[in-house]
Amino acid sequence: MFVSNEILAVVTFLYLFLFFGHLVYFAAKSERVLTFVWVALYITFGLHTAGLIARWVESYRLSVGHAPLSNFYESLIFYGWCISLTVISMKKRLRFPLLTMFACLIALGFMGYASFSSSVDKKIQPLIPALQSNWLHIHVFTCFIAYAAFAVSFLAALFSIFNWKRIMPPEETLEELNYRSVMVGFPMLSAGILTGAVWAHYAWGSYWSWDPKETWSLITWIFYALFLHARFARGWKGRRIALLSVIGFASVIFTYFGVNFILSGLHSYGAA
Amino acid sequence: MSATKSNGGREGQPPPSPTFLDQVYEFLSSVTLAIALLAFIAVTSIFGTLIKQQATPAEYLSFYSDSTYAIIRFLGLDDVFHSRWFVAAISLFVLNMIFCSLPRFIKLLRSRALIKVPNQKTLDAMGLRCLVPGKRIEDVAGVFKRYRNAQTNEGSRVLERGSLGRYAVYMVHLSIILILVGGLIGSLFGYRGPLTLAKGEIKDSVTARGNKGEIRPLGFALKLTDFKVSFYPSGEPKDYVSNVDVMENGKSVLQKSIRVNDPLNYKGVNIYQSSYGSNPLFVFDIGGERVELGQGGVYKKEKLHLMAVRYEKSVHNFGPGVLVAYVQENGQPQTSWFLKDVPRLRERSILGTTVRLDDIKEEFYTGLEVSRDPGVWVVWFGFALILFGLCVNFFFYHRRIYLVEVPNKGVLVAGTALKNKEGFKEEFEKLKGRLGCS
Ligand code: HEM
Repeated sequence: MFVSNEILAVVTFLYLFLFFGHLVYFAAKSERVLTFVWVALYITFGLHTAGLIARWVESYRLSVGHAPLSNFYESLIFYGWCISLTVISMKKRLRFPLLTMFACLIALGFMGYASFSSSVDKKIQPLIPALQSNWLHIHVFTCFIAYAAFAVSFLAALFSIFNWKRIMPPEETLEELNYRSVMVGFPMLSAGILTGAVWAHYAWGSYWSWDPKETWSLITWIFYALFLHARFARGWKGRRIALLSVIGFASVIFTYFGVNFILSGLHSYGAA
Repeated sequence: MSATKSNGGREGQPPPSPTFLDQVYEFLSSVTLAIALLAFIAVTSIFGTLIKQQATPAEYLSFYSDSTYAIIRFLGLDDVFHSRWFVAAISLFVLNMIFCSLPRFIKLLRSRALIKVPNQKTLDAMGLRCLVPGKRIEDVAGVFKRYRNAQTNEGSRVLERGSLGRYAVYMVHLSIILILVGGLIGSLFGYRGPLTLAKGEIKDSVTARGNKGEIRPLGFALKLTDFKVSFYPSGEPKDYVSNVDVMENGKSVLQKSIRVNDPLNYKGVNIYQSSYGSNPLFVFDIGGERVELGQGGVYKKEKLHLMAVRYEKSVHNFGPGVLVAYVQENGQPQTSWFLKDVPRLRERSILGTTVRLDDIKEEFYTGLEVSRDPGVWVVWFGFALILFGLCVNFFFYHRRIYLVEVPNKGVLVAGTALKNKEGFKEEFEKLKGRLGCS
C-alpha cells in the first residue's frame, strides 16, 4: 500500500463529507455552515493535490517516474481534482452552494470508483514507449480541464431544466454559468485534441487516424461548436440550450468511459 | 462572388423578389445549414466508431448478417470517413463557412470607416450612461487609458477597446479551413507505409499503404546498424531504439537513433519507430567453425551444402528445433531436425563433418513507419491559429465608449458592448467612480 493511495482514500471520504456539509447548509440555511464547507473544500483540494504529488514521487521511487496521468486510475483521480479546481476558481464570480454540492458529488463518484472498484488497477505502472512524451502531460491536462468545465456546464443545464425554485439561482445566472464553462471548456478541449494530434504525429507519424477515441473527442468538440452557434448566431436560449449542454456532456462521458469499455483503439486506459 | 453582388443589389429600390441565386446564396450562408452540417458530421462519425472501419468482408460477415452487411456496404458505413457523402458534407461545410464568414468579415472591415456617434435617441437608450458635470472631453478622456481613440469629432469622441475580439471568429473559421486544406494536401501528395529492417539490411523504398499500394522511393537509402529492445522488470517494453545510417550514393550521410516519440526527419520524409519482431538465428558449430544462419540461410563449403529451412518453437514437445536440408553423398537432398534441448538430436554427422546446433538466438528486426506529409505545416499553422483565435474570442471582447459634449452641462459618457455585458457593466461602474459622475 502506498501513502498516496491512503491520502486519496481520505480525500474520497472528504468529498462525501462535503456533500453532507452542503445538505446541512440547505437544511439550516446558515452562512457559517457554508463558510465551514468552503474551508473544508480548500483542505480537501489541498490533500487531493498532495495525494497526486505523493503518487508522482512514489513513481520515481519505483524508478518508473512519471506524472500521475498515465492510466485509468490516475485519470479518474485527476478528473476529480480538475472538478475541484474548476469550482474553486469559479468561486469569485459564481458562488452557488448547489453547484459546489453537485460538483463534490461528481468528484466523489470518480474518486470512489477509482478507490473502491476492483476493476480499476491502482498500481503505478511503467510507461510504454508511446506514452513517454511531454505531450502526454499537456494533452491529458487540457482534456481533463475541459471535461471538468463541461461537467459544470452540465450541472448548470440540469439546474435550469429541473427548475427547483427555492434553492436555484436565477435563470440568467445559470445561462451565464453554462456559457462561461463552455467558454473555458471549448478552447481547452481544442487544445487537448490538437496536442494529441501533434503528439500522435511525433509518436507514430499521423496526426489523425480516426481512432475511436479521437473520433469521439471530435464529435464532442463538434457538438460544443454547434452549441456556440446555436446560442450566438441563432439565439437559442433556455431549455433548448440546456438540452444541448446535457447531450454534450453525455458525449464527454462516452468519450472518456464508453470508448474504453465498448470500443477499442490506441487509447488503452480502460484496458488496464 | 456574383452572389454577393446580387445580394448588395437587393438594397436598391424597389426591392426585387429574391432570385434563385439569392436563395442559393441565402441557404449556403445560413447558420442553420452550419448547425445541420455539424450535427450530420457528428452523427455519421458515431457510425464510424461503432462499425469497424476498413475491415475485410469476412470480418463483417462474422459479425453481421448478409443483408445488414449489404446495407453497410451500400451506405459506405464500412469506410465512413472516406466515403463520398462524408467528403461531400465536409466540402459543403467549407463552402458554408466561406459564404458565411467572408461577407461578414468584409462588412466588418468596411464598418471601421463608418464609425459614428449615434444620435441622441440611441445614446439615451444605452443602459450604461452617465454625465460628468462641468468637464470637457479632453479632461475626461485621460481616464480611458486602455482605450483606443477610434474617432475624434467636433464635440464628440469614440473610444474602443478589445477590437481584436471581433476578428477572432474569422481567425477560427479560417483556421478550420486551413486544417482541412492541410489534410487534403497530405492525402493527395503524401504517403505512408511500413518498413521492416533487419540488422545490416538496407532499403530505399517503401510500399505505400492504402489503395495506392505503390512503391515509393525514399530518395535515399536507410541502413539498420543496430536495434535494441529493452524491457521493464514486469516484461512491458520500455524502449525500442533503431540505430540507422542514412545513405546517399552509398555513403553514410547521417546517423540517428530512432525511438518512439523521436522520429527521423530527412528530406521531408519522417521515419518512426512503430513495432518490432524477431527472427530466430541458429548458431551452428560446423567442423569446429562457428556459423550463424537465419531462417533460409545457406552454408556452403566444398562439398558440404546445407540450409536452415524451418524453425519450430516446439518440435513434438521436445523444445525448439530447426529443420536442416542438405545434399547427401549420392546427390539426393535430405532433411533432418536439429533439436536444441535434446543432446542426441543436437549433433549429426553430414558428409563426415560434425554439425552441431549450439544455440537458437532471437534476432530482432525493427518495424518502422515511413510517412511523407507535405501538408503538415499547414495543419500546424491552422492549429496555432485556432488556439489563438479561440483565446482571443473568449477573453477579449469589443466595447465602445462615446464621449459627447453637452453644452453648459458637461460630458455625456455612454458605452456599449455586444458580448460580455456583465463584465462591461462592472468595468463601467469602476470607470464611473473614477470619473466622479452620476
Ligand atoms: C467546426 C466548425 C466551426 C467552429 C469551431 C466555429 C467556431 C466559432 C466560434 C468559436 C465562434 C464564436 C462564438 C462565440 O463567441 O461564442 C463562432 C461564431 C460564428 N460562427 Fe462559427 N465555427 C464553425 C463553423 C461555422 C460555420 C460552418 C459557419 C457558417 C455558417 C459559422 C458561422 C458563425 C457565425 C455566423 C458566428 C457568429 C459571429 C458573430 O458573432 O458575429 N461557423 N464560430
